Amino acid sequence: MARDPGELLPGTFEMLILKSLSLGAMHGWGVAERIERLSGGVCAIQQGAVYPALQRLLRRGWVTAEWSATESNRRARYYKLTAAGRRQLDAEVAWWKRTIGGVDRVLRAAAQEA
Amino acid sequence: MSWIHAMRERVTNLVLGRHAELDEEISYHLELETQRQIAGGADPETARRTALARFGDRRRITDATLRARGDRLMEGGAQDLRWSLRSLRNSPGFTALALFTLALGIGATTAAFTVLDTVLLQPLPYPESDRLVVIQELTKDKRTLFPSYPNFDDWRTKANAFAHVASITERVDRVTASDGETVRVADLGVSRDFFETLRVRPILGRTFTADENRLGGARVVMVSYEFWKTHMGGSTTLGTVRMGRDPATVVGVLPAGFDFLRHHDLYSPHERGPGTVRTAHYLTVMARLAPHTTLASARANMTGLSRQLASAYGTDTQAEDALVTPLRDHVVGKYRLVLDVVFGGATLVLLVACSNLVSAQLARGIARGREIAVRAALGASRARLVRQLLVESAVLAVAGAVLGAALGIGITRVISRVGADLMPRLAEMTVNVRLLSFSVGISVLVTLLIGLYPALRLARGNSASTLRGASRSTAPMVRARVWHALVGFEVAMAVLLLVASTLLVRTLDNILNSGVGFEIHGVITAALSTGDTPQSRIEQIESSLNAIPGVSGVALASNYPLEWGNMSAPVLRPTDPEDHDWPAFAGFRAVTPNYFAVLRQPIVQGRAFDASDRKGSPYVAVITPGIAQALWPGEDPIGKQLRSNQDVDHLLTIVGVVSEARNWSMAGPQNELYVPAAQHENWQSDPIAFIRVDRDTRGAAASIERLLRANARDIPAKVALLDDRVAATAASRRFAMVAMLAFGGIALLLAAVGIYGVLAYSVTSRQMEIGVRMALGATAVSILRRSLGGAAAMACAGVVAGLLASLAATRSLRSLLYGVTPFEPVAYVAAATLLLGAALFGAYVPARRASRVDPAIAIRGDA
Repeated sequence: MARDPGELLPGTFEMLILKSLSLGAMHGWGVAERIERLSGGVCAIQQGAVYPALQRLLRRGWVTAEWSATESNRRARYYKLTAAGRRQLDAEVAWWKRTIGGVDRVLRAAAQEA
Repeated sequence: MSWIHAMRERVTNLVLGRHAELDEEISYHLELETQRQIAGGADPETARRTALARFGDRRRITDATLRARGDRLMEGGAQDLRWSLRSLRNSPGFTALALFTLALGIGATTAAFTVLDTVLLQPLPYPESDRLVVIQELTKDKRTLFPSYPNFDDWRTKANAFAHVASITERVDRVTASDGETVRVADLGVSRDFFETLRVRPILGRTFTADENRLGGARVVMVSYEFWKTHMGGSTTLGTVRMGRDPATVVGVLPAGFDFLRHHDLYSPHERGPGTVRTAHYLTVMARLAPHTTLASARANMTGLSRQLASAYGTDTQAEDALVTPLRDHVVGKYRLVLDVVFGGATLVLLVACSNLVSAQLARGIARGREIAVRAALGASRARLVRQLLVESAVLAVAGAVLGAALGIGITRVISRVGADLMPRLAEMTVNVRLLSFSVGISVLVTLLIGLYPALRLARGNSASTLRGASRSTAPMVRARVWHALVGFEVAMAVLLLVASTLLVRTLDNILNSGVGFEIHGVITAALSTGDTPQSRIEQIESSLNAIPGVSGVALASNYPLEWGNMSAPVLRPTDPEDHDWPAFAGFRAVTPNYFAVLRQPIVQGRAFDASDRKGSPYVAVITPGIAQALWPGEDPIGKQLRSNQDVDHLLTIVGVVSEARNWSMAGPQNELYVPAAQHENWQSDPIAFIRVDRDTRGAAASIERLLRANARDIPAKVALLDDRVAATAASRRFAMVAMLAFGGIALLLAAVGIYGVLAYSVTSRQMEIGVRMALGATAVSILRRSLGGAAAMACAGVVAGLLASLAATRSLRSLLYGVTPFEPVAYVAAATLLLGAALFGAYVPARRASRVDPAIAIRGDA
């Protein structure tokens, strides 16, 4: 099964957004750009997808949004992690590590015991 | 209240803000990305394109974001709306049918309800109009009479149930206003308290003083707003007008739109020359109830007073009792039945319209069963599907309501304009929001309810079976029966309306042709305001009218035919006492010799007048048979003598008997006494000229009008066709007839559309069955016969039911009919034929389509 180079595991996209926002409030483009940059270009997501995702996070109360001025004095909508969002991020990171650890162990075991 | 505020913000945000905000957000995003690409070395154009590509499908993302934003109800609503519009666009036939039906239904009923409301329900346009009553004299045998002046005067002074009692009498005057034009105007003679009774104040000047409104008072008039504007230039200096030769001072102007019973241009004090006998019946008396007085106690008061007067004056008065009627009942009373008929017609149309909608929606609901099942199978929630169907119905209902409201307002305007002369109060009519919302509400409710049908079916049914088979099966029998019943019902209602309108058309025809006792076609009337013009000048005009090509005869008379009212007076034998026990009453007319010839009113005995019946020769008269019968039963009336209260000085010798000019109102045969105009000089002024022409009556009327304008500027004339005049007396019947014809036509149309709709659906849904039949060797003709047979059965059942319903229902029309019974076969045959024709017409197109089905395509199933 061929995979797109930037394809993400299900459920990880929103975690990445939460993570990128944990580094400081940011607007939509900034979020997409951060994820891309921090992943070293591996997670080259379709940028527009951040907006519906941010919307879902907003509805769950994990982020808030407000319009404020940018460095270049333009109006932009800045998203910010809430306390609940931070807890959710911790939970997701814990889940991720556990899952990745599990998967990794399976893969290694398979190499020795096959 | 903060949640209301929050809610409002939310809604505003939702509807107006969100889309724009997201747009701004995305634009900024694309800008930043483009800049990054440029910073990375791309040229602006490439940078822009890369940014767009990396962003993805902007519209889809916008949609997804908005959907994710919560408030799925509203967002979903917008989507449902788009979906509904698309779906309606995809079935233009159904949409057109539904809109057409809704618009007609709402339009027709709104107009009908508005007429009813205006005439029957809304208070008259006077303050506290429910306190106004009309008082009439009641004879021993319970006939109602116009009150006489002395009786009115006694009521006014002696009755204590009323705050004010006033009276009016109407006449036509010749008036020359400050603009120099002489016009014939309707003049309302009013008694002292008239304006106080109605509580109307002049907008300029004053009303009449008590001194002006009594014997020997100064000549004064008040004018209508319209007259003031048109003929007095709306000047605040009122000045004088000339009435005949006498100047009259204009003392006041009435408010715009003020009318009493009908429109008058001039108001003058009638108590300057009051009647003196209690048997001269010429007034209309109305009164305002005193505070705290009920109608019942006013009636008791008037009955007591009338008894007193009757015993005091004995045979001098005919009033044994008095009839006290609320003014509104008096005004609308005789139109009640007509209005009920209109209302009934409108209701039937609404019923037909609604059943059309039901059957159309039924058909469509089934046809869409599969589509809905597919959507359900693909995961649409039931609630969502129901909502979508509701939104679709709502779209339909709103569009239909808008069209219907526009149509209703249009129809109402037309009725108001056309009907103003036919029925009191129609001129004041406007569509009222309450009524409009009533019709709209009903139709919208029906639309929404029946729109739910497919949804309910879905809730009941299981989608798997629908998916498998619905589009291929024939319509289930139960539903087929419901349809057939609906279409049958429509046909029946249309038959009922058509029978009723045919009866009314026949009635009007009878009234206009045979009912009057003379030939009205081809007669032009010219009301000549001669005033004091010398007789020789009138004769000169008469002969110039005679000289117009195409004119075969001219006659003059003091009155129009079919108009008597105030002219009625006792007639008696020379031996009868003059003041009581009169053997008969008769209308009184002075006519020129060829009057009977021009009107073609046949002389049944003796002779008509001739040139020898002139001033100085013996006084003669021509009577109608009713008088002869009353005065000399079983004897030859020719040569007998009689006396009329209209001319007490002379005994008149009967020279002829002329057939009755029947009163169209079916009040029974009407006695008439004709005298030669030449012998009665005081009856010669302001005559009506009757001009019989051989052909082209309208054209002749125009040339007569031209001639009078050019050659007789001193004599204002009003030219009309006798046809139109007689038709106007039949106005309320005509109104009912036109309304019924319109409703009948609409119902016919709706029934045809309904039949078409049902059959079109059944052909579509049975395409496969038809295909199989054809594959097995059925011919197109047999298929056609089969499809049409069903329609014919449906229509026949409806026609039979409609005819039976008509037999029962048209009985109530009896008093509107003339010269035709409610069981007139022609009406029934015509209605049945029309309906069957419409049914076949409606069935033909779908049936033809059925006969052209290609078996190969049909059997495959999805055609």
